[in-house]
Amino acid sequence: MATFRLRVLTAEKKFFEGDIDRCIVRTVTGDVGILPNHVAYLAPLGVGGLTIYQNGKPRLAAVTNGFIEVSGGQATIIAHTCEWADEIDLNRAEQAKKRAEAQVQSSKAGDTEFAHAQIKLKKAMNRIRSAQK
Amino acid sequence: MASGNMKDIKRRIRSVESTMQITKAMELVASSKLRRAKERVEQVRPYFYALQETVSRVLRENRFSSVYTEQRAVKKSLFVVIAGDRGLAGGYNAGVLKLATAEMADKQVSVLTIGKKAQEYFGKRSYEVLADYPGVAESMTISEIHPITADLLARFRAGEIDEIYLCYTAFVSPMTQEPRVVRLLPAVSADDSKVTDKKQGLVECDPSPETVLNAIIPEYISGTIYGAVVESYASEQSARRMAMESASDNASEMIESLNLSYNRARQAAITQEITEIVAGSGAVGG
Repeated sequence: MATFRLRVLTAEKKFFEGDIDRCIVRTVTGDVGILPNHVAYLAPLGVGGLTIYQNGKPRLAAVTNGFIEVSGGQATIIAHTCEWADEIDLNRAEQAKKRAEAQVQSSKAGDTEFAHAQIKLKKAMNRIRSAQK
Repeated sequence: MASGNMKDIKRRIRSVESTMQITKAMELVASSKLRRAKERVEQVRPYFYALQETVSRVLRENRFSSVYTEQRAVKKSLFVVIAGDRGLAGGYNAGVLKLATAEMADKQVSVLTIGKKAQEYFGKRSYEVLADYPGVAESMTISEIHPITADLLARFRAGEIDEIYLCYTAFVSPMTQEPRVVRLLPAVSADDSKVTDKKQGLVECDPSPETVLNAIIPEYISGTIYGAVVESYASEQSARRMAMESASDNASEMIESLNLSYNRARQAAITQEITEIVAGSGAVGG
Protein backbone atom coordinates (compact mmCIF):
# COMPACT_ATOMS: atom_id res chain seq x y z
CA MET A 1 0.00 0.00 0.00
CA ALA A 2 1.22 3.44 -0.86
CA THR A 3 2.37 5.60 2.00
CA PHE A 4 3.43 9.19 2.39
CA ARG A 5 5.47 11.12 4.89
CA LEU A 6 3.75 13.08 7.60
CA ARG A 7 5.41 15.47 10.00
CA VAL A 8 3.58 16.91 12.97
CA LEU A 9 5.44 19.80 14.55
CA THR A 10 4.75 21.99 17.54
CA ALA A 11 6.95 24.72 18.94
CA GLU A 12 7.89 22.46 21.85
CA LYS A 13 8.91 19.39 19.91
CA LYS A 14 8.69 17.27 16.83
CA PHE A 15 5.54 15.38 17.71
CA PHE A 16 5.45 12.82 14.94
CA GLU A 17 7.37 11.96 11.81
CA GLY A 18 6.82 8.86 9.75
CA ASP A 19 5.41 7.19 6.65
CA ILE A 20 1.69 6.69 6.99
CA ASP A 21 -1.21 5.24 5.00
CA ARG A 22 -3.61 8.10 5.55
CA CYS A 23 -4.66 10.69 8.08
CA ILE A 24 -7.79 12.55 8.98
CA VAL A 25 -7.57 16.00 10.49
CA ARG A 26 -10.06 18.64 11.58
CA THR A 27 -9.67 21.86 9.59
CA VAL A 28 -11.71 24.99 10.12
CA THR A 29 -14.17 23.80 7.48
CA GLY A 30 -14.46 20.21 8.71
CA ASP A 31 -12.65 16.89 8.74
CA VAL A 32 -10.30 16.33 5.83
CA GLY A 33 -8.73 13.01 4.91
CA ILE A 34 -5.31 13.01 3.28
CA LEU A 35 -4.27 10.04 1.15
CA PRO A 36 -0.98 9.48 -0.67
CA ASN A 37 -0.44 11.66 -3.77
CA HIS A 38 -2.72 14.36 -2.50
CA VAL A 39 -2.69 17.60 -4.46
CA ALA A 40 -0.78 20.52 -2.92
CA TYR A 41 -3.06 21.70 -0.17
CA LEU A 42 -3.12 24.21 2.62
CA ALA A 43 -5.72 24.73 5.33
CA PRO A 44 -5.88 26.17 8.82
CA LEU A 45 -6.81 23.70 11.56
CA GLY A 46 -9.59 23.97 14.07
CA VAL A 47 -9.85 22.27 17.42
CA GLY A 48 -10.35 18.56 16.98
CA GLY A 49 -8.93 15.16 16.40
CA LEU A 50 -6.10 13.95 14.22
CA THR A 51 -6.21 10.29 13.27
CA ILE A 52 -3.08 8.78 11.82
CA TYR A 53 -3.31 5.40 10.09
CA GLN A 54 0.07 3.75 10.13
CA ASN A 55 0.49 0.11 9.05
CA GLY A 56 -3.28 -0.18 8.97
CA LYS A 57 -3.68 0.82 12.61
CA PRO A 58 -5.23 4.14 13.62
CA ARG A 59 -3.88 6.33 16.39
CA LEU A 60 -5.79 9.32 17.63
CA ALA A 61 -4.40 12.62 18.81
CA ALA A 62 -5.97 15.91 19.90
CA VAL A 63 -4.79 18.97 17.98
CA THR A 64 -5.56 22.63 18.38
CA ASN A 65 -5.01 25.36 15.81
CA GLY A 66 -2.17 25.70 13.37
CA PHE A 67 -2.39 24.45 9.83
CA ILE A 68 -1.77 21.53 7.50
CA GLU A 69 0.25 21.75 4.35
CA VAL A 70 0.65 19.12 1.67
CA SER A 71 3.31 19.71 -0.93
CA GLY A 72 5.65 17.54 -2.92
CA GLY A 73 4.04 14.33 -1.67
CA GLN A 74 4.71 15.31 1.94
CA ALA A 75 2.33 16.50 4.60
CA THR A 76 3.27 18.86 7.40
CA ILE A 77 1.04 19.75 10.30
CA ILE A 78 2.09 22.72 12.38
CA ALA A 79 -0.02 22.93 15.50
CA HIS A 80 -0.26 24.97 18.69
CA THR A 81 -0.67 21.85 20.75
CA CYS A 82 -0.86 18.20 19.92
CA GLU A 83 -1.06 15.17 22.17
CA TRP A 84 -1.81 11.49 21.78
CA ALA A 85 -5.26 10.60 23.00
CA ASP A 86 -3.91 7.69 25.06
CA GLU A 87 -1.53 10.03 26.87
CA ILE A 88 -4.10 12.61 27.90
CA ASP A 89 -4.67 12.82 31.62
CA LEU A 90 -8.43 12.65 31.81
CA ASN A 91 -8.61 14.06 35.34
CA ARG A 92 -6.61 17.12 34.42
CA ALA A 93 -8.69 17.63 31.31
CA GLU A 94 -11.91 17.44 33.36
CA GLN A 95 -10.53 20.00 35.78
CA ALA A 96 -9.55 22.30 32.95
CA LYS A 97 -13.04 21.96 31.55
CA LYS A 98 -14.60 22.90 34.91
CA ARG A 99 -12.31 25.92 35.21
CA ALA A 100 -13.17 27.03 31.71
CA GLU A 101 -16.89 26.60 32.35
CA ALA A 102 -16.66 28.72 35.47
CA GLN A 103 -14.82 31.37 33.48
CA VAL A 104 -17.40 31.35 30.72
CA GLN A 105 -20.12 31.86 33.28
CA SER A 106 -18.36 34.64 35.17
CA SER A 107 -17.45 36.73 32.13
CA LYS A 108 -19.80 38.66 29.89
CA ALA A 109 -20.54 37.57 26.36
CA GLY A 110 -18.62 39.63 23.85
CA ASP A 111 -15.64 40.19 26.14
CA THR A 112 -12.23 39.02 25.04
CA GLU A 113 -12.14 37.12 28.31
CA PHE A 114 -15.32 35.36 27.35
CA ALA A 115 -13.87 34.44 23.98
CA HIS A 116 -10.72 33.11 25.62
CA ALA A 117 -12.71 31.07 28.11
CA GLN A 118 -14.80 29.62 25.31
CA ILE A 119 -11.71 28.58 23.40
CA LYS A 120 -10.31 27.00 26.55
CA LEU A 121 -13.55 25.14 27.08
CA LYS A 122 -13.54 23.92 23.52
CA LYS A 123 -9.98 22.67 23.87
CA ALA A 124 -10.72 20.88 27.14
CA MET A 125 -13.79 19.22 25.64
CA ASN A 126 -11.77 18.17 22.62
CA ARG A 127 -9.17 16.53 24.84
CA ILE A 128 -11.80 14.71 26.85
CA ARG A 129 -13.56 13.54 23.71
CA SER A 130 -10.31 12.31 22.19
CA ALA A 131 -9.27 10.53 25.35
CA GLN A 132 -12.56 8.72 25.69
CA LYS A 133 -12.60 7.32 22.17
CA MET B 1 59.01 49.28 53.23
CA ALA B 2 59.52 45.91 51.63
CA SER B 3 57.06 44.20 53.96
CA GLY B 4 54.44 46.86 53.19
CA ASN B 5 54.84 46.17 49.52
CA MET B 6 54.47 42.45 50.16
CA LYS B 7 51.25 43.00 52.08
CA ASP B 8 49.86 45.04 49.21
CA ILE B 9 50.63 42.33 46.71
CA LYS B 10 49.15 39.66 48.96
CA ARG B 11 45.93 41.68 49.23
CA ARG B 12 45.71 42.10 45.49
CA ILE B 13 46.24 38.40 44.92
CA ARG B 14 43.41 37.62 47.31
CA SER B 15 41.10 40.07 45.63
CA VAL B 16 41.84 38.70 42.16
CA GLU B 17 41.34 35.18 43.47
CA SER B 18 37.91 35.96 44.81
CA THR B 19 36.94 37.63 41.52
CA MET B 20 38.12 34.55 39.71
CA GLN B 21 35.96 32.38 41.93
CA ILE B 22 32.94 34.39 40.88
CA THR B 23 33.75 34.35 37.17
CA LYS B 24 34.43 30.60 37.34
CA ALA B 25 31.07 30.02 38.99
CA MET B 26 29.30 32.20 36.44
CA GLU B 27 31.01 30.34 33.65
CA LEU B 28 29.79 27.01 35.02
CA VAL B 29 26.25 28.28 35.46
CA ALA B 30 26.21 29.73 31.96
CA SER B 31 27.51 26.57 30.38
CA SER B 32 24.89 24.40 32.05
CA LYS B 33 22.18 26.87 31.03
CA LEU B 34 23.63 26.96 27.56
CA ARG B 35 23.29 23.21 27.26
CA ARG B 36 19.57 23.40 28.02
CA ALA B 37 19.11 26.43 25.78
CA LYS B 38 20.83 24.65 22.91
CA GLU B 39 18.49 21.70 23.22
CA ARG B 40 15.57 24.10 23.07
CA VAL B 41 16.96 25.74 19.95
CA GLU B 42 17.27 22.35 18.31
CA GLN B 43 13.70 21.50 19.19
CA VAL B 44 12.31 24.73 17.83
CA ARG B 45 14.25 24.81 14.59
CA PRO B 46 12.32 22.15 12.60
CA TYR B 47 9.05 23.86 13.52
CA PHE B 48 10.41 27.26 12.71
CA TYR B 49 11.88 26.23 9.35
CA ALA B 50 8.70 24.42 8.29
CA LEU B 51 6.71 27.51 9.20
CA GLN B 52 8.98 29.81 7.27
CA GLU B 53 9.01 27.55 4.25
CA THR B 54 5.24 27.36 4.13
CA VAL B 55 4.77 31.08 4.49
CA SER B 56 7.26 31.96 1.81
CA ARG B 57 5.75 29.37 -0.52
CA VAL B 58 2.28 30.75 0.03
CA LEU B 59 3.42 34.30 -0.53
CA ARG B 60 5.28 33.33 -3.66
CA GLU B 61 2.64 31.23 -5.33
CA ASN B 62 -0.52 33.11 -4.70
CA ARG B 63 -0.11 36.73 -5.36
CA PHE B 64 -3.28 37.64 -3.58
CA SER B 65 -3.56 40.66 -1.40
CA SER B 66 -4.15 40.75 2.29
CA VAL B 67 -3.83 43.37 5.00
CA TYR B 68 -0.64 41.66 6.02
CA THR B 69 1.10 41.80 2.66
CA GLU B 70 -0.04 45.18 1.46
CA GLN B 71 2.71 47.80 1.28
CA ARG B 72 1.59 51.10 2.66
CA ALA B 73 3.16 54.45 3.40
CA VAL B 74 5.19 54.00 6.55
CA LYS B 75 4.35 56.43 9.29
CA LYS B 76 5.17 54.36 12.30
CA SER B 77 7.39 51.33 12.74
CA LEU B 78 7.33 48.93 15.61
CA PHE B 79 10.49 47.22 16.76
CA VAL B 80 10.40 44.08 18.83
CA VAL B 81 13.79 44.05 20.53
CA ILE B 82 15.04 41.01 22.39
CA ALA B 83 17.98 41.43 24.78
CA GLY B 84 19.13 39.75 27.97
CA ASP B 85 17.99 40.19 31.55
CA ARG B 86 21.48 40.51 32.99
CA GLY B 87 24.77 42.06 32.02
CA LEU B 88 28.22 40.52 32.10
CA ALA B 89 27.63 38.73 28.84
CA GLY B 90 30.38 40.21 26.73
CA GLY B 91 29.06 42.21 23.82
CA TYR B 92 25.71 40.44 23.73
CA ASN B 93 23.40 43.21 24.94
CA ALA B 94 25.43 46.03 23.43
CA GLY B 95 25.50 44.31 20.04
CA VAL B 96 21.78 43.84 19.61
CA LEU B 97 20.85 47.21 21.10
CA LYS B 98 23.33 49.02 18.88
CA LEU B 99 21.95 47.32 15.80
CA ALA B 100 18.39 48.14 16.85
CA THR B 101 19.24 51.80 17.41
CA ALA B 102 20.98 52.01 14.06
CA GLU B 103 17.95 50.53 12.30
CA MET B 104 15.60 52.89 14.08
CA ALA B 105 17.43 56.00 12.95
CA ASP B 106 15.22 58.32 10.88
CA LYS B 107 12.07 56.33 11.57
CA GLN B 108 9.06 57.01 13.73
CA VAL B 109 9.29 54.12 16.11
CA SER B 110 7.69 52.48 19.05
CA VAL B 111 9.37 49.62 20.83
CA LEU B 112 8.30 46.37 22.41
CA THR B 113 11.06 44.99 24.58
CA ILE B 114 11.73 41.48 25.77
CA GLY B 115 14.43 41.30 28.45
CA LYS B 116 15.37 43.71 31.23
CA LYS B 117 18.38 45.21 29.47
CA ALA B 118 16.32 46.25 26.45
CA GLN B 119 13.68 47.70 28.75
CA GLU B 120 16.26 49.76 30.65
CA TYR B 121 17.94 50.92 27.47
CA PHE B 122 14.85 52.16 25.69
CA GLY B 123 13.09 53.28 28.85
CA LYS B 124 15.94 55.64 29.67
CA ARG B 125 16.02 57.20 26.23
CA SER B 126 13.10 58.99 24.69
CA TYR B 127 11.55 56.04 22.91
CA GLU B 128 7.92 55.17 23.03
CA VAL B 129 7.82 51.78 24.71
CA LEU B 130 4.62 49.98 23.88
CA ALA B 131 5.07 47.08 26.26
CA ASP B 132 7.89 45.28 28.01
CA TYR B 133 8.37 41.72 29.09
CA PRO B 134 11.36 41.51 31.44
CA GLY B 135 12.65 38.24 32.82
CA VAL B 136 10.67 35.87 30.63
CA ALA B 137 13.18 34.54 28.13
CA GLU B 138 14.36 31.54 30.11
CA SER B 139 11.01 29.83 30.48
CA MET B 140 8.90 31.48 27.82
CA THR B 141 6.44 29.24 26.02
CA ILE B 142 4.78 29.94 22.72
CA SER B 143 1.36 30.19 24.33
CA GLU B 144 2.59 33.32 26.10
CA ILE B 145 3.48 34.83 22.76
CA HIS B 146 0.13 34.31 21.06
CA PRO B 147 -1.59 37.14 22.99
CA ILE B 148 1.35 39.47 22.25
CA THR B 149 1.06 38.67 18.56
CA ALA B 150 -2.70 39.15 18.63
CA ASP B 151 -2.17 42.61 20.12
CA LEU B 152 0.48 43.55 17.56
CA LEU B 153 -1.67 42.38 14.67
CA ALA B 154 -4.68 44.29 15.96
CA ARG B 155 -2.58 47.46 16.02
CA PHE B 156 -1.26 46.68 12.58
CA ARG B 157 -4.72 46.17 11.15
CA ALA B 158 -5.96 49.35 12.79
CA GLY B 159 -3.15 51.27 11.10
CA GLU B 160 -1.46 52.31 14.34
CA ILE B 161 1.72 50.75 13.06
CA ASP B 162 2.74 50.17 9.48
CA GLU B 163 5.76 47.95 9.86
CA ILE B 164 6.97 45.41 12.37
CA TYR B 165 10.63 44.59 12.76
CA LEU B 166 12.25 42.02 14.99
CA CYS B 167 15.74 42.49 16.48
CA TYR B 168 17.36 39.48 18.02
CA THR B 169 20.63 37.63 18.27
CA ALA B 170 20.97 34.53 16.12
CA PHE B 171 22.71 31.57 17.70
CA VAL B 172 25.06 30.59 14.89
CA SER B 173 27.34 28.40 16.96
CA PRO B 174 28.54 28.36 20.56
CA MET B 175 31.39 30.61 19.44
CA THR B 176 29.49 33.03 17.19
CA GLN B 177 26.32 34.95 17.80
CA GLU B 178 25.03 37.46 15.35
CA PRO B 179 22.61 40.33 15.99
CA ARG B 180 19.98 40.44 13.24
CA VAL B 181 17.00 42.48 12.14
CA VAL B 182 14.15 40.97 10.16
CA ARG B 183 10.95 42.55 8.95
CA LEU B 184 7.89 40.61 9.99
CA LEU B 185 5.18 42.75 8.44
CA PRO B 186 4.19 43.59 5.81
CA ALA B 187 5.16 40.10 4.73
CA VAL B 188 6.80 39.79 1.37
CA SER B 189 7.77 36.67 -0.44
CA ALA B 190 11.40 35.75 -0.07
CA ASP B 191 13.45 37.02 -3.00
CA ASP B 192 12.35 35.22 -6.14
CA SER B 193 15.88 34.82 -7.40
CA LYS B 194 16.42 31.94 -5.01
CA VAL B 195 13.38 30.00 -6.17
CA THR B 196 14.46 26.68 -7.56
CA ASP B 197 11.25 24.67 -7.46
CA LYS B 198 9.34 26.79 -9.93
CA LYS B 199 7.52 23.89 -11.49
CA GLN B 200 5.41 23.37 -8.40
CA GLY B 201 1.72 23.67 -9.08
CA LEU B 202 -0.71 25.99 -7.49
CA VAL B 203 -1.66 25.19 -3.95
CA GLU B 204 -5.26 24.40 -3.26
CA CYS B 205 -6.35 26.49 -0.32
CA ASP B 206 -9.28 25.67 1.89
CA PRO B 207 -11.55 27.58 2.31
CA SER B 208 -9.88 30.48 0.45
CA PRO B 209 -6.35 31.78 -0.01
CA GLU B 210 -7.13 34.92 2.00
CA THR B 211 -8.51 32.97 4.94
CA VAL B 212 -5.54 30.67 4.88
CA LEU B 213 -3.06 33.52 4.78
CA ASN B 214 -4.83 35.41 7.52
CA ALA B 215 -4.72 32.28 9.67
CA ILE B 216 -1.10 31.50 8.92
CA ILE B 217 0.40 34.96 9.39
CA PRO B 218 -0.31 35.09 13.14
CA GLU B 219 1.22 31.60 13.46
CA TYR B 220 4.20 32.79 11.54
CA ILE B 221 4.69 35.91 13.65
CA SER B 222 4.32 34.01 16.92
CA GLY B 223 6.62 31.28 15.71
CA THR B 224 9.23 33.75 14.57
CA ILE B 225 9.17 35.72 17.79
CA TYR B 226 9.34 32.52 19.81
CA GLY B 227 12.22 31.23 17.70
CA ALA B 228 14.01 34.54 18.16
CA VAL B 229 13.53 34.48 21.94
CA VAL B 230 14.93 30.97 22.13
CA GLU B 231 17.87 31.80 19.87
CA SER B 232 18.63 35.00 21.76
CA TYR B 233 18.58 33.21 25.08
CA ALA B 234 21.03 30.59 23.85
CA SER B 235 23.21 33.39 22.44
CA GLU B 236 23.15 35.22 25.75
CA GLN B 237 24.28 32.16 27.65
CA SER B 238 27.04 31.33 25.23
CA ALA B 239 28.23 34.96 25.12
CA ARG B 240 28.31 34.98 28.92
CA ARG B 241 30.14 31.69 29.04
CA MET B 242 32.79 33.00 26.68
CA ALA B 243 33.14 36.30 28.50
CA MET B 244 33.49 34.56 31.84
CA GLU B 245 35.95 32.08 30.44
CA SER B 246 38.25 34.83 29.24
CA ALA B 247 37.78 36.71 32.52
CA SER B 248 38.85 33.61 34.44
CA ASP B 249 41.82 33.18 32.15
CA ASN B 250 42.84 36.79 32.67
CA ALA B 251 42.48 36.41 36.41
CA SER B 252 44.69 33.35 36.57
CA GLU B 253 47.29 35.11 34.42
CA MET B 254 47.18 38.06 36.76
CA ILE B 255 47.54 35.87 39.81
CA GLU B 256 50.55 34.24 38.26
CA SER B 257 52.34 37.52 37.62
CA LEU B 258 51.36 38.86 41.04
CA ASN B 259 52.76 35.72 42.64
CA LEU B 260 55.98 36.31 40.79
CA SER B 261 56.27 39.88 42.06
CA TYR B 262 55.33 38.70 45.55
CA ASN B 263 58.14 36.15 45.55
CA ARG B 264 60.54 38.73 44.21
CA ALA B 265 59.60 41.16 46.95
CA ARG B 266 59.94 38.41 49.55
CA GLN B 267 63.36 37.49 48.22
CA ALA B 268 64.44 41.12 48.24
CA ALA B 269 63.29 41.52 51.82
CA ILE B 270 65.23 38.44 52.92
CA THR B 271 68.37 39.54 51.09
CA GLN B 272 68.15 42.95 52.66
CA GLU B 273 67.73 41.48 56.11
CA ILE B 274 70.76 39.26 55.66
CA THR B 275 72.78 42.20 54.43
CA GLU B 276 71.73 44.20 57.46
CA ILE B 277 72.61 41.37 59.88
CA VAL B 278 75.98 40.81 58.25
CA ALA B 279 76.72 44.49 58.28
CA GLY B 280 75.57 44.73 61.91
CA SER B 281 77.66 41.76 63.07
CA GLY B 282 80.65 43.18 61.16
CA ALA B 283 80.26 46.46 62.98
CA VAL B 284 79.98 44.76 66.40
CA GLY B 285 82.77 42.21 65.82
CA GLY B 286 85.14 44.72 64.21
